[in-house]
Amino acid sequence: MKAGPLQLGVAPPANRAIAILDFFLRLIAIVGTLASAIAMATTNQTLPFFSQFIRFRAKFNDLPSFTFFVVASSIVSAYLILSLGFSILHIAKSNLVNSRVLLLLLDTAAMGLLMAGSAAATAIVQLAHKGNNKVNWFAICQQYNSFCKRVSGSLIGSYAGVVVLILLILLSGVALSRR
Amino acid sequence: MDSSHSTKETGDIPIPITESKSSKKTPPVAAVSRWKKAFAAKKTAHQPPVSRWKRALGILDFILRICAIATTLAAATAMGTTNQQLPFFTQFFQFKADYTDLPAFTFFVIGNAMAGAYLVLSLPFSIVCIVRPHIIGARLMLLVFDTIAVPLITAAASAAASIVYLAHNGNSDANWVAICQQFDDFCQRVSGAVVASYIAALIFIFLVIVSAVALRRK
Repeated sequence: MKAGPLQLGVAPPANRAIAILDFFLRLIAIVGTLASAIAMATTNQTLPFFSQFIRFRAKFNDLPSFTFFVVASSIVSAYLILSLGFSILHIAKSNLVNSRVLLLLLDTAAMGLLMAGSAAATAIVQLAHKGNNKVNWFAICQQYNSFCKRVSGSLIGSYAGVVVLILLILLSGVALSRR
Repeated sequence: MDSSHSTKETGDIPIPITESKSSKKTPPVAAVSRWKKAFAAKKTAHQPPVSRWKRALGILDFILRICAIATTLAAATAMGTTNQQLPFFTQFFQFKADYTDLPAFTFFVIGNAMAGAYLVLSLPFSIVCIVRPHIIGARLMLLVFDTIAVPLITAAASAAASIVYLAHNGNSDANWVAICQQFDDFCQRVSGAVVASYIAALIFIFLVIVSAVALRRK
């Protein structure tokens, strides 16, 4: 990677490859988190029977954990779209250090937020699928079938986003150490 | 005549070797004294500022790790030792609340225990990073494993927080009853464990940032 004597202030060409990979991973993460946020937010299942007083309808804002999941996914996907600019800057100028550290800090915070939302939604989905005999909580997935399937599918996208964010953090760390 | 005859015969030029002869006796002493001066100078030399702040970051990393061990193990213990039994019971079953009743709480205990065990095992690497501030391999490895530990702890804390919220408030749409009104002591203990786990997640995020800043080559 080094050509001749090491010049101060010139990054090795591997840093540019890392920056390009960083950009593409960010695109994948944007697609995953945005898709999962939209899939969860557009849930709306109404059961065909209803009594005189109440209608049996399931939406994402009936459960606060799902609301938190939608909000967290939206915030993280908005942050990832805004950080594409930083990523392009790192491709153009590969020897910036402070901006890479800032991006790593924000990526870590975004990953924590996304994982928090995903885990909260997963706990509720598990409860909805299986129920709990000890606390007398009934499994609602047996009635709201399509709602449950959609919610479970949207979790996959957000977990993929978490994995991609972990890879982004590791790439930033490697790029910082190679400088 | 003799000298000219000897030079003619041998053909080599006499080189005065008085210098080497005199220095042959004192090289060991001179060398040792030179080494002593150099070592003393290195010891008392002013540390370059780069290794000073890297060493400070290493010490901060070590202290944060100790705090995180305390919080994760406290959270796991508080959740793991829950056992509340209500004073009334029917003929068929007893009203008992345990952390094994809810799978999210089981995952919480396991996740926090794993994070605590990882932290204890990573303490020697943290000490290595203090002793040798310019090492990169150990710091990068700590960064990798800390980055994996952040989502683990956050997931455990968030899943348990979600169930705790449900236990406190219930959910009328899904017909889930708020159990905290009956199992009061259990709920308090579990809520405290979730708070401790979130503090541990925050400390882990700080650890990642400290490792990243210390990795910079300057």
